[in-house]
Amino acid sequence: MRTSWQSRLSSSLFALPYTICFALFMLFPIGYGVYISMHDFELLSDEHKFVGLSNYIEIFKVGSYLNTEFFHGLWHTIQFVLYSVPLLLLVGLGLALLVNRLPARLRGLFRTVYFMPFAISASVMAVIWLMMFDTNAGFINSLLQKIEIAPVPWLTDLPWAWLSLVSTTIWWTVGFNMVIFINALNEVPEDYYEAASIDGANAWQKFKGITLPSIRPVMLFVLITSTIASFNIFAQPFLLTRGGPGDSTKVLLMNVLDEAFKGKAIGSASAMAITMAIFIMLISLVQYRLANAGKEQQDA
Amino acid sequence: MRKSNTFIIAILAVLIAVIFLLPLVWMVSTSLKNDFEALSGQMHFIPKKLTWDNYKQGLNGELMNVPIVRWISNSLVSGIAGTAIVLLIDSMAAYALARLKDLPFRRTLFAMFIASLMIPGILTFLPMYMEFNKFGFINTYYALILPYSGGAFGVFLLYQFYRSFPKEIEEAARIDGANKWRIYASILIPSSIPVLVTLGIFTFMGIYNDFVWPLYVTTSPEMRTITAGISLMATGSYTQSYGKLMAMTVIATLPVLLVFIVGQRSFVKAVTQSGIK
Repeated sequence: MRTSWQSRLSSSLFALPYTICFALFMLFPIGYGVYISMHDFELLSDEHKFVGLSNYIEIFKVGSYLNTEFFHGLWHTIQFVLYSVPLLLLVGLGLALLVNRLPARLRGLFRTVYFMPFAISASVMAVIWLMMFDTNAGFINSLLQKIEIAPVPWLTDLPWAWLSLVSTTIWWTVGFNMVIFINALNEVPEDYYEAASIDGANAWQKFKGITLPSIRPVMLFVLITSTIASFNIFAQPFLLTRGGPGDSTKVLLMNVLDEAFKGKAIGSASAMAITMAIFIMLISLVQYRLANAGKEQQDA
Repeated sequence: MRKSNTFIIAILAVLIAVIFLLPLVWMVSTSLKNDFEALSGQMHFIPKKLTWDNYKQGLNGELMNVPIVRWISNSLVSGIAGTAIVLLIDSMAAYALARLKDLPFRRTLFAMFIASLMIPGILTFLPMYMEFNKFGFINTYYALILPYSGGAFGVFLLYQFYRSFPKEIEEAARIDGANKWRIYASILIPSSIPVLVTLGIFTFMGIYNDFVWPLYVTTSPEMRTITAGISLMATGSYTQSYGKLMAMTVIATLPVLLVFIVGQRSFVKAVTQSGIK
């Protein structure tokens, strides 16, 4: 169907404002980032020498400064991902199952309570927990003191620092996963369970045989979104442990931003950022593939 | 058997709820203590010496000598303006993509917008900083408002709604002589108010709560947002002034918690629609 140019023009005008914003604040920055990463780009200088891929090569050259910054940071980030993602999934699903087994009139209330911390800003969340975890005056150590347990250096020693970062993250964001799981659980047809009951299935069999397979796509969605979110960890170590003890919780994003704003080296920082982004996208792709391969195997 | 099961589950739910609420209750309680009591390590939920000083000083700018009221205003201004822009341009674009089949490059545009949803924020953070630096927008409201307008989440959310909107109503209006602008303004927008509210809450909370970007693009005290300001206070020389810090976090949290509780239902809906279907 051909329409008049006037009609095509007016249709374009609707899409134009967003498309301009998209071009300015999404598309252009992506391209500009690649450009910057290929230059010796100093934050405060106007001269930018073209250096090709050398910033990227530095990242992968064993023993170089950028190599250490990138891979130490990445390793700390990966540690956080490995500790937090399984818990974000399991606790999220657990809370959803719990809320769904409550009497109907209590569900909304408890869902709201578990979801509430999600409404809080990262910086507020971190400051609250800074106080909770304070070694001398913090709530948690005061509580432990009552049952005569010596103060724990929650933010300044391992493994406590990781434990603190992971538990604050769960407190802060697990409600989001729970809400998604509650929705998924509610969409499982009730008659599946009734049929299974007639066949004499117990609760665990029903969970394994009906619930888990039914919410599989949602599990995958939560797995991928939680993994991406955990890879982007910044606020918690930035404000709570400040990367410590030593640099053992200094995650990759902290190193990228330090390289850019403390080191004033935007070029190499951009190369780090792009490498990190590619890494995150690859991980989600692999997760997606693996989960789908597993599904085909199950279907076969 | 059934009854006792429910009872155990309810007890468990309450225990977990206590753990979730405790840090928030403690935040409020600490904000009503003087710094001495806040650091005493005693566990009084009701302060021994209840004081409103932290709030009073906060609101008249004496607290830590920082303009908290200004910070809150900056957050509210950027949150509200940013949300208004997103609602307007996203609904227009979603209407064009979903209903106006003669839009040039319709498929290409849609594919690009959707693909951008998968891009990690760090990819655009530094170049956007340099871009705003070049425009001379660092430390201005432009930097606190504009970057959020490039996100495609709202376009995607509204696209799904507008695509399933019945054709007949639109056609009847067209026969009555309504043009695209009329159809957009007097049929699609009114019918999508719930989705727009949802998107509005989502966007407002996202902008209001963001702190890394505002932290780097504001350089003077009067341009800080409340979240950036708090993180500076917490890493600066006021690390352990918990009474004062908590008064600030309470003030910072109130607007967004209010939005969250009032709009919770549609917020939950937004979360569940955000990518599963």
